[in-house]
Amino acid sequence: MSSRDSILATLRANRPDPAAHELPPVAVLGDMDAGKARFEDALQLLGGQILLPQEGDTLATAIARRFPDAKIICSAVPDFEGTIRLEDVASPQQAAATDVLVVRSPFGISEMGSIFLSEAQLNSLNSAAHLTQHIVVILSEKNLTANMHTAYVERPEFHTARYGVLMTGPSATADIQGVLIRGAQGVRSLSVWWE
Amino acid sequence: MPNLHIATLGIERIVPRMADMGVFIRLLSRSALGSPITQYTTHFRGPQKGGEMHIVLVDNGRSARLGMEEFWTSLKCIRCGACMNTCPVYRRSGGLSYGAVYSGPIGAIIDPTFNERKYSTLPFASTMNGSCTNVCPVKINIHEQLYKWRRVLAEHHELPFVKREIMHMAGKLMGQPTLYRTAINGTEVALSSLPRFVLYNWLNPWGKHRELPHPVKQTFHSWYKKNRLKDKKESKGGKA
Ligand code: SF4
Repeated sequence: MSSRDSILATLRANRPDPAAHELPPVAVLGDMDAGKARFEDALQLLGGQILLPQEGDTLATAIARRFPDAKIICSAVPDFEGTIRLEDVASPQQAAATDVLVVRSPFGISEMGSIFLSEAQLNSLNSAAHLTQHIVVILSEKNLTANMHTAYVERPEFHTARYGVLMTGPSATADIQGVLIRGAQGVRSLSVWWE
Repeated sequence: MPNLHIATLGIERIVPRMADMGVFIRLLSRSALGSPITQYTTHFRGPQKGGEMHIVLVDNGRSARLGMEEFWTSLKCIRCGACMNTCPVYRRSGGLSYGAVYSGPIGAIIDPTFNERKYSTLPFASTMNGSCTNVCPVKINIHEQLYKWRRVLAEHHELPFVKREIMHMAGKLMGQPTLYRTAINGTEVALSSLPRFVLYNWLNPWGKHRELPHPVKQTFHSWYKKNRLKDKKESKGGKA
């Protein structure tokens, strides 16, 4: 008997009576507000930012003002120039040289302030979501979903993406009684630009 | 980035449907850090282009644990760490002191399923305050299982000789208040007057690296008897 078969056999023998443990219906709980304000509050709670346009701003001028020292601004979207295109980054390692990555997210979750990215948005260069110094995410209000439950039920991306990541603010780490450190293992800042 | 991704996980990690993920993602970070979600929440459905991904499901006694009526619910653990953060024992001793991969209150009820002898003392390192059970998001009755493990381990004779004998004596002692109080007074005298070699030897592994507590001049009980009990009698007498 293969180990797989023996594990399954033990599981069948030992499992609690299935009749007494029926699979509950899919839970869709909680606040159903899929609004922009809720999203912004949640994002800022985890250290994320909103890139607010000033009078006459374009995304390019807003980025230049927010990141005045940025040398390599990498674009993963057709409607923004940048200094380099993500398709032209030759290897996953090279993504580390990027100061600012501009990418479009297919949806956000209001409850969590999270944005979703997959290989479809990252041109299969998934390391870019981690190694870039700063990330600017273009998001549309109409692509907000209310909460974690509605996200998994409604969004087709979870069934198609090989690699899908929900990003919420900059990377952060803090152990028990430790200090909160932002940007240690991933992006140092995450800003959302509404379109 | 290597083109090979191998993920190993316990068989109890599997959830029935994608839609159920929402429940667990919500519980995890809230119970761990108090934040709504972790900064990067990653979903791997397949290998990157041109790469390989393998998922290894590990049993290592889990399927057997599923058959233990009193202990199988420990398989529900999502490893949030809330029970550890709240545990007075863990907070003072830290994770390494458990000597096992799984530490904290949940470790103390999981580890004996891997090796009863090696981890026989863990279920005894608890004050039974129940704080772990209170905070557990998946409602594992941790402190009750700690208690049940003590019984199982004693029945399986996995207790070291000294502990077993001391438990026997303690059981008798605590069942009889007068005897207990005499013994306590005796202990106080012993702690303050006996020579070191009598107090620190192989019968007392606890004292290997530690000093025994300082003897107190007066126990709470004798203080209460002297002060409060007297007041009570007097006030009662006054009313009558
Ligand atoms: S036993 Fe409960 S509280 Fe402890 S880590 Fe597991 S899920 Fe969290």
